Amino acid sequence: MKKLGIVSRRAGALVISAGLVTLAAACGSTSTTGSSSSSPGSITVAVAYPSPPKALLDQFTKQTGIKVTWVNIGWDDLQTKIAAAMSANTYFADAADVDWSKVGEYQKTGWFLPLNKYFDVASLKSDLPQLGTFVSDNELMGMPFDSSFLVTTVNTKDFAKAGITTMPTTLSAFTADLKRVGTANGMANPLDIHFATAEGLSTCWYQMTSAFGGQVLTAQDTPAFTSPSSPGYQAMTWMVDAYKNGLVPKGNINETDYQGFTTEMAKNRVAAEMCDYSGSVASIYNVPSSSSVVNDTEYIPTPGATGLGGNVANPDGIGIPKTAKNVAGAVKFIKWFTNAENQATWAGLKGSSDVVSTFPLPARLSSFSLMGSIAQASQLASILQAHAKAPFPNGAPPWYVQFSAAVQTNIHEAAAGQETIQQAVSAIAAQVNTLKSSG
Amino acid sequence: LSTARRGRILPYLLLSPLVVFIGALSFVPTADTAVEAFFRVMPLDPPTQFVGLGNFRALFASTAITTSWVNTVLYVAVGVTASVVLGTAIAVALRQRFRLRGVVLALVILPWALPAVVEAVIWNWIYNPTFGVMNSALHSAHLIGGYHVWLGLERWLTIVLIEIVQVWQMTPLSALVILAALQSIPIDLYEAARVDGAGPAAAFRRISLPLIRPALAVCTVEALVLSLNIFDQVYILNGIAPLGSSVMLQTYVTTFENLNFGGGYALSLLMTLATAVLSMGALALLYRRVEGV
Repeated sequence: MKKLGIVSRRAGALVISAGLVTLAAACGSTSTTGSSSSSPGSITVAVAYPSPPKALLDQFTKQTGIKVTWVNIGWDDLQTKIAAAMSANTYFADAADVDWSKVGEYQKTGWFLPLNKYFDVASLKSDLPQLGTFVSDNELMGMPFDSSFLVTTVNTKDFAKAGITTMPTTLSAFTADLKRVGTANGMANPLDIHFATAEGLSTCWYQMTSAFGGQVLTAQDTPAFTSPSSPGYQAMTWMVDAYKNGLVPKGNINETDYQGFTTEMAKNRVAAEMCDYSGSVASIYNVPSSSSVVNDTEYIPTPGATGLGGNVANPDGIGIPKTAKNVAGAVKFIKWFTNAENQATWAGLKGSSDVVSTFPLPARLSSFSLMGSIAQASQLASILQAHAKAPFPNGAPPWYVQFSAAVQTNIHEAAAGQETIQQAVSAIAAQVNTLKSSG
Repeated sequence: LSTARRGRILPYLLLSPLVVFIGALSFVPTADTAVEAFFRVMPLDPPTQFVGLGNFRALFASTAITTSWVNTVLYVAVGVTASVVLGTAIAVALRQRFRLRGVVLALVILPWALPAVVEAVIWNWIYNPTFGVMNSALHSAHLIGGYHVWLGLERWLTIVLIEIVQVWQMTPLSALVILAALQSIPIDLYEAARVDGAGPAAAFRRISLPLIRPALAVCTVEALVLSLNIFDQVYILNGIAPLGSSVMLQTYVTTFENLNFGGGYALSLLMTLATAVLSMGALALLYRRVEGV
């Protein structure tokens, strides 16, 4: 009995310890963030892209004497890492990813340094159409290093098999064509829209809203999607109907954007992507080792409600965290990484050996000029200039992350049949109003 | 110092690095968390302010979080029951001598050795509605007419299927612990029972079960702690959708998605208390019964 008592007490202590460790792990406020050191002769760069080729990084080191440690972290993980490190005031990198959606948040929290004294916003704007997306309260929080935007991509071979060679310009025509494409190619569900509760679902709604000719927030950052006749409401209805009516595979309820591109479109399980990323054709669909639709896919102007719709800009930027140890080195690197020639190089100007894998598009129009017809550059450049617009009138609000969480959760639930469109819209609008009133 | 005194001090000296380590990495953050749970800590909306029970009230007013508590209770119910029952069944089977027993034992332990994330990714492929093994196998066996979407549409089914992945991971350790307990029971007891006319089922119920209760208690607590804190499997298989969300997932969402650190601290504190109380309750219950045997 005594022995059992000791065991019991020890086991009890073990349980408490386990609980305490769990607590510490869950909170993470004081946990380490994988920091690495930097010296004046080195910098750490943390972005959600693979590194440029080593030879080119070596060239940068030779030119500047700065050695670059490249840390490639998945996008979602990187956002968590940045939030954890910055809220703990801990160093984690000298230059890091600044997503368009985080600009307002980083400006308000002061987690990233304004770059205005290193880059002249006024003079750069004409060459960098999406630079404004990275400005919040007149502070430049990051330099765009790609000009990704959302596009519609189709498998022209599948469309041709259904006798469609002229691409539809309206969503109703697009829907009708997709049904024909499905029948002709034996595809039960010919369209890919991703419905997993992830950022890609929020972005897709902004894109579809743009296709319907509007934006989801007003200039005052209030909901612009509550009326059934509003583009945002119509866009959500169209997306959910496409899922419920079988245009979209049922399994997409838990599918993320990248899964859709790689396992649906690249494997020819669907014939069209509604919310694709500019650059997918070159970096995913035309890669023979992982795609069965090489040279079969093409970007098309986005079909809209009554004619061609808009495209939502989705660019990535690079900035300097406030805890950076080598700010001067980071500035030199950002200037090098975003210059016109290197931007074109990452996208294929000098051949595939110098390409940065999955890099969508250069941020600079001057880079497109250098590229000419490589990787449909001229086609994308014209869409970029004519149609790609920021998703919000005033850039991403500081409370974007909470807003996006409400968007993705509620659209997902509407598609899964757990709430109606009206309930989803009301829940998102209520969240916007709460967020605005609290700060 | 005398030899005797040095001998008395030595254990404390040897333990001190561990005490410092645990203190610095566990108790200090825990104490900090317990304090911060009563403050409003929002980097997007400073300053930090004392709010008393405000964070806790906000948590219970959130539908997503109350849903996650109910879901977590279901994860625990399925996880604890299935892992202990299956672990016992596997242990009883492995107690028998048969050819390739060592190989089977090694295979049984494999899921326990894999990281939870890897397992969730594997099961994601199994459950995949388009090309998953589960649909393929059930369809080939004519048990389903067409391919099904297993996760994300029906709450109970989603929770059970996600918890199966965790049970798959937890059960090997339970089986090993129970097997060790079974092997420590003297064979004489079973022989005496057989002489008295007891069959295998009666021998298991009257001899094995009472004597392996300490092992069952350990397995129950292990399953309880793991299933209460389920995160990886839910996140990978069902994302942050409320339908299958667990409390630990909501802690992540509250803290790092919504940047509401005060809410995250409060939720962590509640979870720690729940884990400690339930685990100690399970231990007390099972050990008391052992003492009564």
